[in-house]
Amino acid sequence: MNKIIQVEHFSKKYGDFTAVDDISFTVNEGSIFAFLGPNGAGKSTTINTLCTILDKTEGSLMINGHDVCRERSLVRKDIGIVFQDSTLDSQMTVEENLKYHCSFYKVPKNEVRERIDFALDLVELTEWRRAAVGSLSGGMKRRAEIARGLVHDPKVLFLDEPTTGLDPQTRANVWEYIQRLQKQKNMTIFLTTHYMDEAEVCSKIVIMDHGKIVAHDTPENLKHQYTGTEVDVVCTQTEPFMAALQERGGSYRKDGNKLVFHTKKAPAALEILSAHKAAITDFEVKKGTLNEVFLAITGKEIRES
Amino acid sequence: MNPITAILQRNLLNYVRSKGRVFGSLFMSMFMLVMFSFLMKSSMSGLDAPMSYLVSGVIIMSVFQVSINNSSDILSDISSGYMKEVLVAPIARTQISMGHILSGAVIATLQGVVTMICGIVLGLRVGILQILLLAAVMLVSAMAFSAIGLFLATVSRNSPAFQTLSSMIMMPLTFVSGAYIPTTIIPGFLLPIVYLNPLTYTTSIFRYIALGAHTLTTEELVGQGMAFSIGGFVITPLMGLAITILIGAFFFALCVRKFNRADFSTIKVAAGMQGGGAPARR
Repeated sequence: MNKIIQVEHFSKKYGDFTAVDDISFTVNEGSIFAFLGPNGAGKSTTINTLCTILDKTEGSLMINGHDVCRERSLVRKDIGIVFQDSTLDSQMTVEENLKYHCSFYKVPKNEVRERIDFALDLVELTEWRRAAVGSLSGGMKRRAEIARGLVHDPKVLFLDEPTTGLDPQTRANVWEYIQRLQKQKNMTIFLTTHYMDEAEVCSKIVIMDHGKIVAHDTPENLKHQYTGTEVDVVCTQTEPFMAALQERGGSYRKDGNKLVFHTKKAPAALEILSAHKAAITDFEVKKGTLNEVFLAITGKEIRES
Repeated sequence: MNPITAILQRNLLNYVRSKGRVFGSLFMSMFMLVMFSFLMKSSMSGLDAPMSYLVSGVIIMSVFQVSINNSSDILSDISSGYMKEVLVAPIARTQISMGHILSGAVIATLQGVVTMICGIVLGLRVGILQILLLAAVMLVSAMAFSAIGLFLATVSRNSPAFQTLSSMIMMPLTFVSGAYIPTTIIPGFLLPIVYLNPLTYTTSIFRYIALGAHTLTTEELVGQGMAFSIGGFVITPLMGLAITILIGAFFFALCVRKFNRADFSTIKVAAGMQGGGAPARR
């Protein structure tokens, strides 16, 4: 698989403060890659350096074979960016924003119309193309920004916190657009988020904390490695069940007539459940989430902004 | 569309759409023209055509003010975040600077032309050829002024700082340019500032054309404050225009250098990292 982004030993310091501390990672072409971590972990610094608007302190960053800090204009051609804060021109209409963007990126004249149509259709803003950006809602602005970021067919689309501050429905829509885009155009998508649950759809995840990479794997592997299966059982008689759990070893928790215990794999719970089948009135098996992965790795919940 | 044209078109469209700004700015130019023309008329005694002399000075001064004020456009682009969109685009930094300088210059020239038409009503006597030449001089000097303004804007980075900085620079330069007070009556200790001031030269070339002064001898030009004798070396109005262009080019280069720095928009970047991230750079 072609490595479209290669970062080696990248560090960024602001005076005495180290925002990013010697990180290395690669991103496969055509994948959805997520940077997770709490605010202040160094995600935005990394993404801004990859987007050519910050200078590195040390290390090497390459996108599509070009050095991010030395071949800026070549890198800029290959990337599309949706920043955390709006960078739209609010006095202009949605279409004008996209049109000027096409001029900046030298999109061939005969393709401009078609590309704008495609982008607006993808984010469902076709009806709003002549509306002034300033009059749009927050969610629509974010969609317009995504449309603008992809209208020049970038090799890599960077999305810095694309769903922060959006309502659940718009958030779901944005994820749908991102996945559709990756499938239809085989575009590489690099995003940061602090919503762990949203990162499930990504091919690879990097978890950052305090400027360092603390985990780098697929969501499945991370969950497998750091979390187990939680089983909640409600029984009429808790004593025999508790005895069985004690015998089995491992911790459990009692909450009224509900018992909570953990197993590494779900089938392992089957044996104990079937042995006490008669006493069970209800049960639930919960798979580990990325939130738990994060908790296990960093020892803290991811902070909401 | 070429990126310069795109930036130019976008800025002009933005300008036209903010009606309040168009009228406010035009009103200011008119107000200055009428007020100064009548108030200062008496200080211009001893000239052949005091009204034309004064009106032409006020017109070029309004071009200067509009150019500098329009440079603050880039500040609203920085605060709205749009500047980031431009900075991450594969556009040469010379093109970004040129696009912004041109848009400021075009707006200033258009307003200058409107002011000139009012000036004609007030008693400025010029022919068609002169009008065309004057418009060309306005465009060239407006580009130099816009380059200066853009540089001031990129240095100050926010609107209040720019307001303070620009008025600090605009006020004295305006008063020692000869536009309102003839350079011939400015006290000697201020003369070095007069000669370093690009406005002095734009005013002189502008008057030179407006008054049809090509028939005058060098001594007469110096006597009327349209040429300057520095230790025996005479700077003619045309040389003055060349000096203006050089000053403009110098500030253009400074702007490009400013845009070339990757961390140009750090304020915005740092603001984007609120809640942790990196502290804002000093």
